[in-house]
Amino acid sequence: MLEPPPYRTVLKPYGSALVDVALEREEILCLSGDLTRQCEIDLFQEKIPERFIHGGMAEAHMMSMAGALARKGHIPFVHTFGVFATRRPYDQIVNSVAYPKLPVRIVGFMPGVSSPGGPSHQAIEDMAIMRAIPGMTVIDVADAVETREAVRQIVDIPGPVYLRLKRGEIPVIFDDDHRMSLDRAQVLTRGDDLAVIACGMMIPAALAAAEILEAAGVSVTVVNTPVIKPFDAGTVLDVARGVQAVVTAENHSVIGGLGSAVAETLATAGLGRPLRRIGLQDTFAEGAKTAPHLFRKYGLSTRDVVAAAWSALGREDPLPDVPELPVATGEYAPV
Amino acid sequence: MPAVTTGADVNRFADSVRLRAVRMVAPHGFGYLGQVLSSAELVSTLYSTAYRPDRDQLVCSPGHYIIAVFAAAAEAGLLDEDLLATYGFNDSSLEAIGTERSPAVDLTCGSLGTGLSGGVGFALSNRLKGVDDARTFVLASDGELEEGQTWEAALFAGHQRLGRLVVLLDANDSQVDGPVSSITTIDPIAAKFEAFGWDAYDVDGHDVDALTSALASAGTHDRPSVVIARTSTRQGLQVLPAHADGHFIKLPAPLAQDAVSELEARLA
Repeated sequence: MLEPPPYRTVLKPYGSALVDVALEREEILCLSGDLTRQCEIDLFQEKIPERFIHGGMAEAHMMSMAGALARKGHIPFVHTFGVFATRRPYDQIVNSVAYPKLPVRIVGFMPGVSSPGGPSHQAIEDMAIMRAIPGMTVIDVADAVETREAVRQIVDIPGPVYLRLKRGEIPVIFDDDHRMSLDRAQVLTRGDDLAVIACGMMIPAALAAAEILEAAGVSVTVVNTPVIKPFDAGTVLDVARGVQAVVTAENHSVIGGLGSAVAETLATAGLGRPLRRIGLQDTFAEGAKTAPHLFRKYGLSTRDVVAAAWSALGREDPLPDVPELPVATGEYAPV
Repeated sequence: MPAVTTGADVNRFADSVRLRAVRMVAPHGFGYLGQVLSSAELVSTLYSTAYRPDRDQLVCSPGHYIIAVFAAAAEAGLLDEDLLATYGFNDSSLEAIGTERSPAVDLTCGSLGTGLSGGVGFALSNRLKGVDDARTFVLASDGELEEGQTWEAALFAGHQRLGRLVVLLDANDSQVDGPVSSITTIDPIAAKFEAFGWDAYDVDGHDVDALTSALASAGTHDRPSVVIARTSTRQGLQVLPAHADGHFIKLPAPLAQDAVSELEARLA
């Protein structure tokens, strides 16, 4: 089911998946906020130009217009970076799209600190604010296989969707048989000491940490939760009941995203487990040369997951070694 | 569209809209009556001479104006007039600020400045589907021109040459904090839209002949159109005190009775 790291990468899995689905479904429209190539939709523009619409740098207008297009039976996929897709047009997403329950698919690229472009370009609270909107589906995928799956699966969701996608070289973590479920989180490894619940770009670090912890005698369940909302509380509770402690990992603020969803789930069920939340600790990040530097600096590395596990389990002995995986050009490995 | 409509018919329609609105607001003692007084001729001309509900789209961008649309739709026989008495009361679908539950429109927006984008979406959809015989009318207000999104939408519509899109702009110079002109200079409105690739018709918004003429031409060319209706929130109701706040008019029972009497006398 899982490929071994370092992972090979592919280009434009989203863009090609959208074209494939749109060729079958003529209701699909493709809207771009002046980030066409960056959002992989140059493929759509080339193949289906009559359904490609330049919105320009006008996100507020683009969201309200997408809502009206959806009222008329179209299925608009709206593209820009995650920061611009959520912060600037929040009122328009709420009033023109979500409140009327319209099938607009908001696709935000460059999640969390995957962008070294600084706070203006780093979507660190997009899942939180999208999750707070009634009826919004929120998805943070891990790899190219899941990306393709997600595109196909969200087409017919009755209400709005926020899909969060890594930009650029996309790792292949899952094999071709992998199926993403909108309803069920997926248990990737099973163990009975600790659960690591992760989404999106933190899946590789979760898997790497689990391997290191296993070698140190800690048996780990890794859960992949691409769908942050509606959240699969059932799987999370089943898993949490079988372990001593829980760590969540997301490329996002620890406020309002996956970590919060897990905390709400455990507390509502009255299930007490030590919980550590990996993510941005209520801070903005910064501009840098490379994203891996920021993953390290802001506590999103494999070592941080291992340290959180150690802390959650009450271990006071030294951390196990966390070796750096060598990465060749065109490969992807967790920091 | 009615076969023959005279200016007198439209003026009478407009006063009937005012009377219905006074009766809708009166039980609450206050409400968005100024918006009806200013837009009565504009809305009445639309319903009497231009709007075809089976084909055209109607957007009421400022949700506060929905009272004018409700009154006009009832007057045109498109909305059960008994419903008007429920306006603004608990559990009524006729909420004071328009929502998704509001009948009689394709779209209305409580968050101001978003409706033009909706109208642009409708007009674009019509074009994508090859529908040329449908106009999209967007009732908007001059205060909304302060919102940046209005101009994002105007740029887009001009670039796309959405020739079936018509903005009906009630330029009543009224917003919550006072006259629009005292808060932000939005004039010249016509020149702004023209610079964005639109046709503009700048008319006396209480002159139904001028409005009828503008609406006959707007939305029939290859550029989007804006009909700028210069209006007053006190129009057509002499009994209003000089200091009445046009955005949210207080209408205590004695004043409401005087208003009904004035309008009934004019319609008699």
